[in-house]
Amino acid sequence: MTLLAVPPPSAAGQLALAAGLAAVGAFLLLPKPGLRSVAGGVAGLVAGLAVAAAWVVTTFGGPVANTVETALFGLFAAGALGFGVVLVTQRNPARGAIAFAFVILSVCGLFLLLAAPFLMAATVIIYAGAIIVTFLFVLMLSQNDGPSDENDRTREPLLGSLAGFAFVGLVLFALGQSHAGAAPLPAQAITPAEQATLRAAAADLKALEDDRFYVVPAAGGTPSPERVALLSRTEQAVEDVVGVSPRKNDGTPRDGPVADRLAARSDLHAKGVLDRVAAAREQSALAFRFAETAVNDPPRGRPAEAKAEATKLREQLLLLAGVGELPARNVANLGVLLYAHHLLAVELAGTLLLVATIGTVAIAHRRGTAA
Amino acid sequence: MITLWHYLAVAAALFGIGLVGFLTRRNLITMFLCAELMLQGVAINFVAFARYHGNLHGQVFVLFLLAVAACEAGVALALILMLYRRGRSLDVSRWQDLRELGVPAAVDLESLPAVHAEPDPTLTPAGARPAPVAEEPARV
Repeated sequence: MTLLAVPPPSAAGQLALAAGLAAVGAFLLLPKPGLRSVAGGVAGLVAGLAVAAAWVVTTFGGPVANTVETALFGLFAAGALGFGVVLVTQRNPARGAIAFAFVILSVCGLFLLLAAPFLMAATVIIYAGAIIVTFLFVLMLSQNDGPSDENDRTREPLLGSLAGFAFVGLVLFALGQSHAGAAPLPAQAITPAEQATLRAAAADLKALEDDRFYVVPAAGGTPSPERVALLSRTEQAVEDVVGVSPRKNDGTPRDGPVADRLAARSDLHAKGVLDRVAAAREQSALAFRFAETAVNDPPRGRPAEAKAEATKLREQLLLLAGVGELPARNVANLGVLLYAHHLLAVELAGTLLLVATIGTVAIAHRRGTAA
Repeated sequence: MITLWHYLAVAAALFGIGLVGFLTRRNLITMFLCAELMLQGVAINFVAFARYHGNLHGQVFVLFLLAVAACEAGVALALILMLYRRGRSLDVSRWQDLRELGVPAAVDLESLPAVHAEPDPTLTPAGARPAPVAEEPARV
């Protein structure tokens, strides 16, 4: 009971505990002549990781929405971190290179989850070569006869682990502070919640493009309540995101959350999004005025035009929802961006590679043997 | 829901593991791999932010990061080769003469555990030694 009465540790305490456990684990695992305990080290690292993961789940939100994505993320993240620890604590550098290959594969999985297929392929290709070259160097230079200074000793294992994991704890703490709003990130153009709202509204608008929506009720009848409710619900959803147009008769003009958030940004991307929002705002005023007239006042309604305007609005909403997503044609868009916006950087990277090649040859050149 | 923050946390942890390895390990090749590990953590950050902002600039940055990592690998391995030729060892502490003025030299106090090497098996000679015979000269 006394254990249960202890209040849960604060975020800083939790992170300090995680960093301390992980540092002790790494200290026990690092190769050195004296104290080395694989079981104790693994236990310390796993305990530290568990505390840190609990902190991440409580601070940034737990896995709820998408089971497959969550499972893959957990698999790849655990793979990258686990094989990274193996690389750091493994005595034999050849086994370290194998562990590094698995780290690269796990990171490539994370790239795929982040919608970067070209980078995934490029990383696999480049690092496959790099790891093979590392293997060659290990075979060429490493003597494998018994313990050696370079493989079985470490510099300051305790202080090094403490420094490294204290750094991780501080970064995580700063991330938590930023997530809580102390130093917020630059605004996202369209948040996932707004995307969901826009897509739901677009799905509702489908009904407005159907002829049955405009069937005139029997003489003297009132407009069907479902249609009125659908109209007001959809209009409210659209207004919640893009704001209310001043052209609308009964509403006071008002900016939506997207325009409020992006007002301070002056880059081209934000301007493009703001233009889209303004267009959607005007179009929604137009489309809903036509639709309301057609439903509430059938003799004056013009269903054909109402349908056309609803289609336009639906397309604009879908495009606006897609602004927050990466383009589907990853390679083509990367190429356009690389050669349209970053041409100078491409040239500089090429120059850097050339200089590095010359430098490598100059460094590795054996003086006196070659002409 | 896996958000940007989860990826940032994983990237920070990966960077920290690489940092621990770079600070503590003494094998030059392992130190090089640990530096690459830190670069991977940074790359995850860039790609996660690219996804968050819905544009590809972060991914382009990772492409440049790959180019710089390739240069770094070439130069680092050439340096490792040169150091090995001079010192016949991959131990980075062999080069501690390059340390700052006034910093005492690091000395390895504890001795490494001696390897218990099994001696080669020998057979006791048995039977009579055969009489030497004239070898047939090799015909070419």
